[in-house]
Amino acid sequence: MATKTSLQKVILLGDGGVGKSSLMNRYVTNKFDAHLFHTIGVEFLNKELEVDGHQVTLQIWDTAGQERFRSLRTPFYRGSDCCLLTFSVDDNQSFLNLSNWKKEFIYYADVKEPEKFPFVVLGNKLDVTERQVTLEEAQQWCQENGGYPYFETSAKDATNVAEAFEEAVRRVFASDERTDHLIPTDTVKLHRKPRSASSCCA
Amino acid sequence: VSVMAEQVPPDSRRCSYFFLYDGSKVRGEGDLTREGICYFYPEETPLDQQELICGQLAGVSRCVSELSFSPVRVLRLRRHKFAIRVKDDFFWALGCPVEVPSVSICQLLDQLISLFCFYNGSISLSYQIHSRDILAARWAQYLSRLQSGSTDLHHIFSCLKTIDSTIVDPLLLLKAALILQACQRCPLVLAGCILFRGRVVSTQMFPELTMKVMVHENETYKKVTRPSSSSGWFGGVSSTTVFLTASELQYLQLTPVHKDLQLVLSFSSQLTPAGDSQPLKSRLSRTLSDVGSTDSDLSDPGSAQVPQKGSFEVAGNAVLCPVVSQGATNLASHLNGKQMVEKDEPQFHRCQSSGSDAHGGEQTCSKDTATIDLTSRGVDTERRSCDKKEDGTTAQPLGSGGSDSQHESPLIPMMLYLHRVKGLVLALLVEPHFLNDSTSMEEVYHSSLASLNGLEAHLRTMSPGVPGAQGPPGLYSFAHYDSIQSTLTTNLSAGGGAGAERPFVRAASLLHSHFCTTETLQEAIIRSASAAVYGTRTVAQETYFQQHGGTLRNSGIPNHQDSAFLLPSKARHRLQKHGVNLL
Repeated sequence: MATKTSLQKVILLGDGGVGKSSLMNRYVTNKFDAHLFHTIGVEFLNKELEVDGHQVTLQIWDTAGQERFRSLRTPFYRGSDCCLLTFSVDDNQSFLNLSNWKKEFIYYADVKEPEKFPFVVLGNKLDVTERQVTLEEAQQWCQENGGYPYFETSAKDATNVAEAFEEAVRRVFASDERTDHLIPTDTVKLHRKPRSASSCCA
Repeated sequence: VSVMAEQVPPDSRRCSYFFLYDGSKVRGEGDLTREGICYFYPEETPLDQQELICGQLAGVSRCVSELSFSPVRVLRLRRHKFAIRVKDDFFWALGCPVEVPSVSICQLLDQLISLFCFYNGSISLSYQIHSRDILAARWAQYLSRLQSGSTDLHHIFSCLKTIDSTIVDPLLLLKAALILQACQRCPLVLAGCILFRGRVVSTQMFPELTMKVMVHENETYKKVTRPSSSSGWFGGVSSTTVFLTASELQYLQLTPVHKDLQLVLSFSSQLTPAGDSQPLKSRLSRTLSDVGSTDSDLSDPGSAQVPQKGSFEVAGNAVLCPVVSQGATNLASHLNGKQMVEKDEPQFHRCQSSGSDAHGGEQTCSKDTATIDLTSRGVDTERRSCDKKEDGTTAQPLGSGGSDSQHESPLIPMMLYLHRVKGLVLALLVEPHFLNDSTSMEEVYHSSLASLNGLEAHLRTMSPGVPGAQGPPGLYSFAHYDSIQSTLTTNLSAGGGAGAERPFVRAASLLHSHFCTTETLQEAIIRSASAAVYGTRTVAQETYFQQHGGTLRNSGIPNHQDSAFLLPSKARHRLQKHGVNLL
């Protein structure tokens, strides 16, 4: 099992301009471009990594933060294993909007048990000197909304970026294990389903 | 796509015959004609019949051109007509049923020849390097490619297959345009296009070049991507050498700002066809691209910039100065594809003069025929002719084969870089050393990868268009051809021209032919006892419309109650919701 590579889909959500594309680019290609255009719709990159002995292909979906791109991005929420709620520490409004992003994700991703779904919160642009959101405020929000891990990152100088994505992977593993323990027999059945279905037809 | 192509019965294909004959192989009395036949289609034609057709057509052409002191363009033989091209000892003929408009068959032959040169370089050199069998396979491939997978209407207009813009969010077209512009931040990238499942999503190239690039895309789609020497770890990337003519290259090397300026120059002097969203769309992307091009100018102050500036000045002059009519013969002969029929030459005299008149501000909307054409193809043609004069070279002597002078110019090798993400392909024309420049390649690859992944996901999940669902089926048929971008919008089903749609396609074909040969013709109605088709054109577009149902009042002589006269207003009304605005 450990040698097998699993695919995990994580999705970056948050207001326009908080640095979602920059975080993805920093993590996957280790590059930073200060003049990126607005993302239109969705984009994604794959990254191979090893977390706690597990080989993982992380598929990172970057989304458009602007409201006008809503209809383009929402169809791609489905199938996400983890959601990275992102705001910018120098923009209080982007922090206040986190709840809306969470709601939008849960609705369109059709999450069955929202309270068990792994979210990770990222406060980006740590390099900027004038903060509008304090560490305490952010931590408090994470605590009150379901005990989400919180990372203060900077895509510009690469602070905490890898750590945040690796934590996302761990969270997915953790929530998988939880569901595995809860209903182990069901999981097995799901894998067998196609075979039994085809024998039925034949 | 290939499945669709196979379903097309052979008789509906445009080309009945095609051959390339090398006269230099048949000099002496005893030389067999078959020695000169480089390629003959259909390949199963008996050899003696091949010899008969080749020998007769080549002989007749030579005879006629020597008698008339002008190159032969079209020959008619019983139920077929043949487009003819001659270059040095090489003689091409492409035969179609007589119903096919001459302009379309000439375009097809020119496309075919320029396609061959694009991938193989000059004809004579190719035949020195490669065996006939290898090159025969390539002719066959290009021929089948140009004929396959399109509708009859696409063939008539020789237009590009584009993605159905009615089912794609326009923001995705913008996304595609932005990907291309991001790639151009690398100064080694000339221009690119993005294709999805064999259809154009966005292109920075002029239509003829996009068409050539698409052929390779189609090939790589069928096969596994060809391994390239330097692609190595870049997944989905392949490349191939291609050859551009000097004028093609010069046009591509103009920065977008300069191209835009040319557009602005001509748009400001002309009344743009209002409501036509297409030119607007291309201008939007060019305006956005200004940022990118400035970047590349700044980042590369090296050798590339100087000639760009120079060529722009020439181009600017060409737009502003009235071009002597003497140059027009030369011009028409340089044109790529579109304007190869003899009768187009006067049209070029005309568009030159109207272009210069326009700056007096006296131009009326109805007089602007073919002027916008200057912006996309014409300008670069004009520049060519200016260059020619500067070089001191003279026009091709008559009888050497007219249009062939476009193949006369030295071909410049470039690379075609393809990055495939499933059904989506990013195709870039790049300087040859791009592939050895790992920094540039990495930059282009990484700056576009995420966006390509995303665009592919978007396009794959968009709802597939139901053919003919764009308008209430059965109420009316229409076809709208944008001659600047070489695109077609229609509500005909993909098969186009089957059954009930056949009369419409035939009428459109006939009208298109008339529009091409009669420059002053703007509107026409063509009718039979049972159907009437209305056609109208401006400098940038042609529109065809047929109303179905209802009793056709056809008195035989013009009459106010004749329902055909309601067609123009019906067309205006009906087509508005398709984004076609007929003034």
